[in-house]
Amino acid sequence: MTQEAVTLTIDGKEVTVPKGTLIIRAAEQLGIEIPRFCDHPLLEPAGACRQCYVEVEGQAKLFTSCTATVAPGMAVRTQNSSEVVHEAQVANLEFLLLNHPLDCPICDRGGECPLQDQALAFGPGESRYVEAKRTFEKPIPLSPLVGLDRERCVLCARCTRFCDQISGDRFIELFARGAGERVSIAAGEDFLSPFSGNTIQICPVGALTATPYRFVARPFDLSSVDTVCPHCSAGCNVKLDVRRGKVVRHLARDNLDVNDAWLCDKGRFAFRFPDDERRVTIPLLRDRGLEPTSFGEVMDAIGDWSRGKRVAFLTGGRLADEDAYALSKVARTAFVTNDLDHRREFAGGEAERLAAVAVTDRALSVTYRDVERAKAIVVAGLDAEQEVPILHLRLRKAARRGARIFVLNPRRTRLWDVAEHVLCRPGQEAHVLEQIVDGEGGDSGVGRAADALREAGEAGVVLAGMRLAEHPLAADVALRAARRTGARFSLVPRRAGDKGALAAGVHPRLLPGGRRVDDPGERAEVEAVWGELKNVVPGRNAKQILEAAANREIDVLFLVGVDPLRDFPDARLARHALENVPYKVVQSLELGSLEPFADAFLPAAAFPERDAHFTTWEGRAQRIRPVRGPAGLSRPDWEIFAGLARAMGGSLGFESLEDLQEESVGLLSPRAFSGGASAWVGAGAPQWIDELTLFTYPLLVDEGRLSEGASELKAALEEKPFLEIHPVDADKRSIADGGEVRVRTQAGQAVVPVRVTPDIAEGSVFVPFNQPGLAANTLLSGRFTAGATVEAVAAAEAAADPERLTVGGGP
Amino acid sequence: MAVLSPELRGEAERIKARYPAGRERSAMLPLLYLVQSVEGRVTRDGLREVADVLGLKTAEVEAVASFYSMLRLRPTGAHVVSVCTNLACALRGAKEVYAAAHDAIGSHAEEMTEDGLLTLHEEECLGACDAAPVVQVDFANHDRVTPERMRELIEALRRGEVSEPSAGRAPRDFKEASWILAGLGDGA
Repeated sequence: MTQEAVTLTIDGKEVTVPKGTLIIRAAEQLGIEIPRFCDHPLLEPAGACRQCYVEVEGQAKLFTSCTATVAPGMAVRTQNSSEVVHEAQVANLEFLLLNHPLDCPICDRGGECPLQDQALAFGPGESRYVEAKRTFEKPIPLSPLVGLDRERCVLCARCTRFCDQISGDRFIELFARGAGERVSIAAGEDFLSPFSGNTIQICPVGALTATPYRFVARPFDLSSVDTVCPHCSAGCNVKLDVRRGKVVRHLARDNLDVNDAWLCDKGRFAFRFPDDERRVTIPLLRDRGLEPTSFGEVMDAIGDWSRGKRVAFLTGGRLADEDAYALSKVARTAFVTNDLDHRREFAGGEAERLAAVAVTDRALSVTYRDVERAKAIVVAGLDAEQEVPILHLRLRKAARRGARIFVLNPRRTRLWDVAEHVLCRPGQEAHVLEQIVDGEGGDSGVGRAADALREAGEAGVVLAGMRLAEHPLAADVALRAARRTGARFSLVPRRAGDKGALAAGVHPRLLPGGRRVDDPGERAEVEAVWGELKNVVPGRNAKQILEAAANREIDVLFLVGVDPLRDFPDARLARHALENVPYKVVQSLELGSLEPFADAFLPAAAFPERDAHFTTWEGRAQRIRPVRGPAGLSRPDWEIFAGLARAMGGSLGFESLEDLQEESVGLLSPRAFSGGASAWVGAGAPQWIDELTLFTYPLLVDEGRLSEGASELKAALEEKPFLEIHPVDADKRSIADGGEVRVRTQAGQAVVPVRVTPDIAEGSVFVPFNQPGLAANTLLSGRFTAGATVEAVAAAEAAADPERLTVGGGP
Repeated sequence: MAVLSPELRGEAERIKARYPAGRERSAMLPLLYLVQSVEGRVTRDGLREVADVLGLKTAEVEAVASFYSMLRLRPTGAHVVSVCTNLACALRGAKEVYAAAHDAIGSHAEEMTEDGLLTLHEEECLGACDAAPVVQVDFANHDRVTPERMRELIEALRRGEVSEPSAGRAPRDFKEASWILAGLGDGA
């Protein structure tokens, strides 16, 4: 792409920039700082604060450099070389400060405030204003997370522009434009955006403040570290602020390759879990009860239980890459087992291998930049706002740049205003994708998606969420859809450790780098580093591990950062498994619901205590850095695995993180995905056995363990349990919106408040996975979908029902 | 309770359909006048319903509604008396006209009389400076108003009569004026 260049001078210095560049950006390139408040490089220009005045030779009036673009030969003078500009800036700052309180000593922003800093650098020392300043209620709560100290606001409109241009949920606006102008929210409503915290971070004054941080710290009290958010596979770059050893704040760091400058509210506000009072930081061993002990004794006991026995490992997508690698190695070398898994979704057979290999294949990868520049995007089986929120913002950015977006999902997502949705029943995705591959569909969403992908060619992107990984062939067909049109394809796992765990081979069939354990050639590449593997038969996946455990075919079960009772889509199976395994080893931050079952507990170091990597959904490994040492006796997971290897009489072959990284780097480099996309059979139209298909996935803010202690976040954004049903299905069953329904599956039943909505595919019902009062895994049998019946519950019956869940209200 | 009856909801959809696809937001002002014609002002529920019709957030609607002085968010009398006090009118005696209106109405500007009949509004400019001082009753212009004429206009409203404006037809009351502004009146 050739772009016309423009040469101009600023303060007499020559600079050449692309046509269309704003003067303020050109000045930045010369290292000339022009004061500004409303300007933000990722928001469209507003010219609202009037602080960035410059003089342009030959022009009668001053320009706002954040709205004026460069022109050839332009001679710009900033405050550095123009007395007029200097005076204008001083006057403007005095104006902005007319009503601004001088309460910096008690303001959260004091010490890191653009207004404070620039008033010092560019402003008048004193104000001539002697009248009373405006006052307002303090703070005005926009939500349980965001407070507005309105008297501090300088009306730069950064917050409202963010909601308009970036997150697309315009909960806040400028009201009463004119002399009484103010940022406000509609009366009686809450700022319910899962991105609301970004408005606080980009507020150039202390007007928007975060409830969890209000009056908690001064900037000079904090020690900080640059790291990566642990909550999902988005990999947002964050700064962790710690006061007296406790994490008190997450802020977004700018990284235009990953999160731009944004964070979701979970990433920003769910930071208390490492300091949760339920955390256990000493090893425990069951004697009469769970007794505190030393690492040495626990390791010895585990060694005694495990030698020559049937051992299995479950983990939950929260491990860092190094930990996953150590787990993969310790399981296979020291415990001689291939029964290890990090997943919860299974398609079975070849599709499972595709899903796994595709994840490690860089040729199949998609980056945030690819999404941003794409002309056509198909998003299948993924509710990005809830599951990978920053990807959601990137999809919105792509839409603003003209991409055509199609969402194939059983439920409408918050991309509804920028994407065409094709609602399809869970399990039907493969069938619909097949129509896209074949260019069928004519004048429908499917047809338009096929056309858009074909027209886009290499500028097309297909993103498949992990829900597709549960349906045989769906991921396969998604890949085929991409290949047919030249589009880029990626599976998008949900959790921060998912991609790293797959790459490391925390998988019953796959070794590091996607190498098959039962393929001698591929295995040899791993054996060259690990030594000969004694067990070369593919092992059991997570569901099969729990089934084997329930059937007393497992002697020792390691639960590493996972709680099958809460995380696995079959609560009853998980319980049977735990009841029938002689020895359960829990390695985590806390015991939680596993307390009655654990025979040994190994305390793991938490995310802010770790030096390691997380790999984003794109396949980008990013370093996480410690802000403090491991709490108590806790240790990094990889160190615990190294200890376990020693307890089993062997060694992992590395004693330091550097050695581990050096060893793994060669093995983790992915193999290209070879061969056609598995045995191709037409997915065909699905056959319905059950009347309705219940499906579930976790919402962003739920009872997940990493949200523990995030009370303000939950107060703002956590929903009570609900069931969504299509009006057609509701009418057939005389179900009225807002009432209660009883949902029954083979696994269980529950009474839940119902929402009747056309935003769900006919024939489907949705229940969120883990809202307070209803764990949806009590309704599931190992998959995230289930056949279900739903019936209306009369209010009286509901009240009298002893099995009724206490949902939707207080005591 | 919905502000718009099912019939009026249909009317709202027809108003929305006047604008091209993707530009439905342009229907916001007529829709706000429509809900104002029902309740005599724009209530919180009215804002929500307009947002609902247009697929917008309530804040986006309130941002617009709070800008225009012809859209009234506070309790408002059956008739709104607007007195221009801007420069041209002020030079021609608008202060005295305003004082007369204030005395005759007996409540503060922007408030509603206890009987719910009248609201006094101080307006910035009514765009008819050649006829200064200008007064509007329910958005119908009265030219060259004297304090005496101001009192007569208000007494007429108290008797249930609407005086002839200087041009055109007088709306029956503020609600009908809003109905006309929504683009629904016969003489619109």
